[in-house]
Amino acid sequence: MPAVFRYCALNCFATFENRTYTTHMPSSVTAPEGQLSRREKFRAYMQAFNPTAPAVDLIQAGLVIEDLHQSLYRNLAGRADLEPGSQQLLVGGVGSGKTTELLLAMRSLESQGHILPLHIDVSKATDLSGLNTGSLVASLGLKIAAYFGNGVGAYSQDTELKAELGEPFEKLWIYAYGKIERVWVPSDDDSPDFDDSDYEEGHFRIRKIPGKLRPPLPSLDREIQDIREPLEQFLAAAKRRGKEVAVIFDGLDRLLDPTKFWSVAHQDLRLLRQLKVSALATAPLSVLFAAEVGQSIAGEFDRVQHLAVITAGPDNACLRSVLEKRHCSELLNREEVDTICHYSGGVLRDLISLARDAGEEAYVSEHDTITAADVEKVIRQLGNGYLRGLGPPVINALLELDQSKSFNVRLPHNIELLLTRRVLEYSSTDFRVHPALLSVIPRPEPKRA
Amino acid sequence: MPEFSTQPLFDIARRLEIRGETGWLAVLAPVTDSTTNLDRLQTELQSILQKPARVIELEPSTFEELREALHQPDDDAVILSSGTGLTQEKWRSLDIMRSALERKGPVILWLATGDVANLTEHAPYIRSFIGASIFLAGPDGGIMTEAERQERLNELSQHFGFTGDEAVRKAQARELPHEPELVEWLVLLGRGDLL
Repeated sequence: MPAVFRYCALNCFATFENRTYTTHMPSSVTAPEGQLSRREKFRAYMQAFNPTAPAVDLIQAGLVIEDLHQSLYRNLAGRADLEPGSQQLLVGGVGSGKTTELLLAMRSLESQGHILPLHIDVSKATDLSGLNTGSLVASLGLKIAAYFGNGVGAYSQDTELKAELGEPFEKLWIYAYGKIERVWVPSDDDSPDFDDSDYEEGHFRIRKIPGKLRPPLPSLDREIQDIREPLEQFLAAAKRRGKEVAVIFDGLDRLLDPTKFWSVAHQDLRLLRQLKVSALATAPLSVLFAAEVGQSIAGEFDRVQHLAVITAGPDNACLRSVLEKRHCSELLNREEVDTICHYSGGVLRDLISLARDAGEEAYVSEHDTITAADVEKVIRQLGNGYLRGLGPPVINALLELDQSKSFNVRLPHNIELLLTRRVLEYSSTDFRVHPALLSVIPRPEPKRA
Repeated sequence: MPEFSTQPLFDIARRLEIRGETGWLAVLAPVTDSTTNLDRLQTELQSILQKPARVIELEPSTFEELREALHQPDDDAVILSSGTGLTQEKWRSLDIMRSALERKGPVILWLATGDVANLTEHAPYIRSFIGASIFLAGPDGGIMTEAERQERLNELSQHFGFTGDEAVRKAQARELPHEPELVEWLVLLGRGDLL
């Protein structure tokens, strides 16, 4: 179909309110097979390349290459299993595949039978920016409680459960969400007692005691001990059922500032170690590269695993396999696959996004397959997104990095470039400008002689 | 200043439709008539995706309000409007809560001009969901001349292999799939009432 698109204002005619017939409509239109199959082909392709699809769905659908990071998840799971109380940190940039690795580790732990792995995406449940000490263990406590009984109702209605874990559940709940209590406030605390009567003037006041999942909170070391006992009771109950708890804290990498990350995680992880609960947690790249603070944090963990950007390599074999797993050949030829692999820079989410966006571009441009022009267009779009907001000094620094391959990763503004994915880390000594960004950076005019 | 691809609002809705009505996308609002265009985008989304579309202002929504609004329901189309632009701090807090923003239905960020830089700089997790899908809201091409309309009608008829009258008959019999090109055809035939 020729790409002649000068739409009239469709919305002048077609409003949502007057359209009722499409629900349950039979698709018996006698359009040429090519048209419908084209749309279906693109739809299937787009769904396979959805960069925002939950990792758990992708694993279930078999769209994930499990040994992409040398089966890292097996190592994580193995240590969590063999060494109760071990603490492992998975550090990686945005879109590097951390959640996928953690979920694969969780599946591996589950398959052991005697482990109860609990995945907690902290940022999903509560406002991570307001979290403080005690929030992680509170989340874990509620998650274990949910394993035994669904909600407050279960702990009040199930007599067996109530007898076994009712009391620790109540403590956990209050620790997490706080409570409202009625307190007696005398009219005048300083007034002398004139008689021995029991009557005292005053009134009741409602006082709210905040929970750990309602920020902001004061941070006191002793407070975290309040949850120790009920948590221990739940862990003991799990053991009685033949299960060792291992916890996976996902989403902590959103706390880009390592100091903030540590203020949330420090005491909670210490308590978990004491309780012999194995923990896996994600962390931002700044933990790895920020000078002193980063190093001291890393030193607290049994293992810090860096999930680096995938090096494309001359034949792009590794990255290509990610696309092939999702049946890219339906719309992409080998040359375009290689182009997408190269310009993704090895960032998995950018790889998937570019493949999806190229498909979308081809579809709206009325192409039957993805062309080189479609790919070029979306690479430029991605590069422009990274370029927006960069001033001349940063652009010059990026060009300098491209030329010299030299990058001082300890400088705060360079860490920012890593966190925003404008610079990619292929190893602790190999840093490069994101290729999509590099392709759109305006070059200085060559000086005339 | 880097330029993003200019897309008619109709095409932006089409892009979401072919994705399977999910995913994230950012649209840079035009400097003038932003409110009118936002209304038009909402209408286009409803027409093309065949589902309700809501506009939610990012400021001054709190974490709890935003999470609730995005998940009740979680399968319609939602346009998150940054209004005249968000502060760096707001972008940071939105980025931290990205998981709480994830939902079944599509999310469209309606951004002011200065927001893309802040998005990339202070919300890298949200930006990674958007990828290359940043577009400038563009004109829809204006009203066609009669000759252009006839030319397009011929193209559609040749492409689908049946006449405009048959298209109308099928629409009346509810046998016409809801596809963007078929919607366009009915509108060009002056039968938007059948949609």
